[in-house]
Amino acid sequence: MTLQKRIWRTLSENKGRYIGIFILIFLGSFTLVAAKGFADNYALLVNRFALHNLQEDLSFSVDQPLDGLAALEQETGAAIEPYRYADIPLSDKGELRLLTPQQTVNLPAVTSGSGLQQPGDILIDPFFAATHGFKIGDRIDTGHQSFRIVGTLALPHYIYPLKYINDVLPPSGFGIGLIAAADMEGYPEAVTVYSVRFAGRENLGGQIISLREALDKQGVKLSDWTDAGNNKRIRMPWATITGAKTIAVPLPVTMFLLCCLIVGIVIWRTVKSDSVIIGTLYAQGYRRRELTRHYLTLPLLLAAAGGLTGVLMGLPTIDPIVKYMANSYYIIPYEKLALSAADILAGILMPTIFLGLAALLVIRRELHKTAGELMKGDKAKVKINFLERRLRLERFPFGAKFRLREQLRSIPRLLFLLFGVTAASVMMLFGFTLNHSMNIVFQSGVNGTYNYAWEYSFKETRQGEVPDGATPFNALRCYPDSKENAEFYLTGIASDADGILLRDADGNLLPKNQVNITYLLADRLKLREGQRIAFVSKLDGQSYELVVDGIVQTYSGQFIYMPLEDFNKLTGQPAGSYTGVFSMRELPYEEWELAGVKDLQNLNSAMDDLAAPMTSMVIFMALVAAVMGAIIIYLVTSLMIEESRPAISLLKVFGYRSKEVRALILNGSAWVVLLGFMLSIPLMLASASALYGYLGEMINMVLPIILSPAYVILSFALIVTVYLATKELSGRKIIKIPMSEALKAGSE
Amino acid sequence: MFLTVSNLTKSYHSGITTPVLNGINMELEQGCIGVILGPSGSGKSTLMNIIGGVDRADGGEVLVDEIKVTALTDDQLTEYRRQRIGFIFQFYNLVPNLTVAENIEVVSNISKAPLPVDAVLSAVGLADKKRRFPRELSGGEQQRVSIARAIVKNPALLLCDEPTGALDYVTSRGVLALLQKVNAEYGTSILMITHNSAIAGMAQAVYKLRDGKVAEAYRNSQLVPAERIEW
Ligand SMILES: Nc1ncnc2c1ncn2[C@@H]1O[C@H](COP(=O)(O)OP(=O)(O)OP(=O)(O)O)[C@@H](O)[C@H]1O
Ligand SMILES: [Mg+2]
Repeated sequence: MTLQKRIWRTLSENKGRYIGIFILIFLGSFTLVAAKGFADNYALLVNRFALHNLQEDLSFSVDQPLDGLAALEQETGAAIEPYRYADIPLSDKGELRLLTPQQTVNLPAVTSGSGLQQPGDILIDPFFAATHGFKIGDRIDTGHQSFRIVGTLALPHYIYPLKYINDVLPPSGFGIGLIAAADMEGYPEAVTVYSVRFAGRENLGGQIISLREALDKQGVKLSDWTDAGNNKRIRMPWATITGAKTIAVPLPVTMFLLCCLIVGIVIWRTVKSDSVIIGTLYAQGYRRRELTRHYLTLPLLLAAAGGLTGVLMGLPTIDPIVKYMANSYYIIPYEKLALSAADILAGILMPTIFLGLAALLVIRRELHKTAGELMKGDKAKVKINFLERRLRLERFPFGAKFRLREQLRSIPRLLFLLFGVTAASVMMLFGFTLNHSMNIVFQSGVNGTYNYAWEYSFKETRQGEVPDGATPFNALRCYPDSKENAEFYLTGIASDADGILLRDADGNLLPKNQVNITYLLADRLKLREGQRIAFVSKLDGQSYELVVDGIVQTYSGQFIYMPLEDFNKLTGQPAGSYTGVFSMRELPYEEWELAGVKDLQNLNSAMDDLAAPMTSMVIFMALVAAVMGAIIIYLVTSLMIEESRPAISLLKVFGYRSKEVRALILNGSAWVVLLGFMLSIPLMLASASALYGYLGEMINMVLPIILSPAYVILSFALIVTVYLATKELSGRKIIKIPMSEALKAGSE
Repeated sequence: MFLTVSNLTKSYHSGITTPVLNGINMELEQGCIGVILGPSGSGKSTLMNIIGGVDRADGGEVLVDEIKVTALTDDQLTEYRRQRIGFIFQFYNLVPNLTVAENIEVVSNISKAPLPVDAVLSAVGLADKKRRFPRELSGGEQQRVSIARAIVKNPALLLCDEPTGALDYVTSRGVLALLQKVNAEYGTSILMITHNSAIAGMAQAVYKLRDGKVAEAYRNSQLVPAERIEW
């Protein structure tokens, strides 16, 4: 019908507005499809890898080789298989951890090239290969032997290739390589680790305890008892997957809801101003259904087009992102993805349904009037809402009154602007704050608490003197009675360890002859000074209890510090026992006696490696947020100008200068923008701490959310810039409105 | 002379050229009421818009209070309207989401020496309705608000384009009486367009426009009070 021709006219007359709505819908669908597609597919690949390649449930080390493995396997219903590893520093090429393959657990996946065939072959992880420019066929010289690279691999227990299990980041230039067991013979310093996978997949916790008891019965001394649930090498990908999942739905839904508001307003205005035509058409026998269909066409078209574009552009991004992540960050075998029909449909249908319903609601309300009512055309009679009526503004200056009324004129429009700015600000702040928090955590870990350059931990407990400039410590992995997944280290430190600075919230040094708990752990367990904490040793299930004396204001991890002598007494170890030392300088320990070395300087460069992708992600988020903010502010101002055309024209006739008109019409939204931004701060904090609370439960990774005034100001500056730029753009529209509109008003 | 229009010409160019004003000449003394009569399309509004500084002429000259309006730049025209001209429209043109008092403030807000809003409201008889919104007023009341809005800055010249065009007989007379009162009390010069020749009785000067020319101009020595005008 000819009525449909009007749709194109309407579209082209208000291009900017509809493009804006289109982009919002597009961003929503794009995020939905891309983020959800990434999270689901990556989760699928990670799960499939764990399942097919028999990922370990547990790993541990013992003081001497285990006897009777077959009997133990029989008894516990588990595959228990040792592997060996040795860390090889490469001249200026970082460090390579050589591992031996296993047959019943942690099966290596060859992701390119071929498997190990002859002595001297090596498979390396793809990220290490890319970092150092190694290609298949190249040789790696370990100083002891020259290996030929035959391919790349992924290992189920080294998905996130951390050097030490409690690190957050792999050291810069670190990677893993798989060599034949026979080749490992050349490395006498190699360490043996046992990996366990249970045949029965239910009640893993119970099976782990039974295994533990069986080993205890044999009288072996265990160390490094790590179940997969607490192993960052295995669990870390879930942090990213969870992160992607948390934005995959709320963000698009926010976008779609915002679009509903704006489309509702636009349609309502169109129907309203068409009311005379509608009434006439009714009178001539058009049915309500036909007219409803007409007015629904535009929002449905917009939603479907935006949704479809979002889906079409979102789909192709999933594969490269998954592939990139699988080869560089969390290393898993990449497989061709299955695209989810449900996600694709959701990307198109969600906005269509949202917008369709919003439009339908508005249209039905208007079309329910009789033809007669409609033909009278009450468009000239602007409804005054309760807020406008309630206001008693006599004492305010005229400009303030005018601007306030301009804002309150349409409450949906006001809400759209308010929530839109809030949503954009939350997104921007979220990215910046995350970045800032991570920086703080690493810096306080590196520079705050430990003023030592090196941390050495030994395979076996020692007694006696430590080298000059070093200070001993002893540590035990524990978990609180009340919260098994909040694992922490109970650390005994010497009271003369000058390099360890424990400060309270006021910056005062805490005495080292008392029990001090790090802020993150205290916060998680809701502990305060003077309160009691009961906990269990991860190693032998022994229960302990301590009273907290002080809380250490550091973001670097979950620790309880206590005096070394008390620690040894509490855990029943001989006086003077220690499992590691902190040192100002590098100490000449041999690799074979060490369970770990932390080069606290190296952490900084590892941090830099992480910072680059993080920064680009934050910049991307800030950009999307800025675009979103710009579109929202633009839509609102253009609507406002549209609705105020007669008033603008009139003001010009009365001799208002362009600047004055602009200020009256446009400056009122400044308060809304400001309010929206302020609302975004608590909202962002709440959503970020919810996300991190969840991550803490899931992978025992705790990140404090630290608001940075500098970033708040930066975000605010960005939002204000967007606002000012949009205002400037809209200002031109105001200039174009002719005075003749007021002079001829009412005559048409 | 307060207002002098000489040889004013104006054409519209929209595809074809439509001459609208073909050399208008007229004069109005300070503090007088002038009425412009003429058939539809004769150029009344066009003339008034040029005098008011919202439209431009092609040729000729308009002098208001010794200001050569036809020679002003856009910015100068804005200042001219701001300081000297009051407008009253056929369809009131009130801002719908502002109260009565606020609608008046729209103009008092940019005036150098505005009259008090309450005084003006009392003058038009709407003191008790200042918190109402326009849609809550009758047409006559709305036109009173628009008169109050026009006179609050005490303009030198009040331009009224068919101020009673949308009103009934009784209400129209009330509005005209009010204009006459304004003219008497504040000494405001008024130029008014109307289709109704009966209204001409309340004006000192009357101009009849036809085909873009002043076809007839005359002066009334005896003024009729608005209340007694009949049609
Ligand atoms: N913007 C325009 N473009 C082209 N022609 C115009 C324009 N404005 C007015 N005209 C023409 O100029 C002529 C005079 O118009 P004007 O509005 O001055 O008449 P008027 O005397 O005020 O009529 P009315 O009594 O109907 O208000 C008309 O013929 C009209 O068609
Ligand atoms: Mg006219």
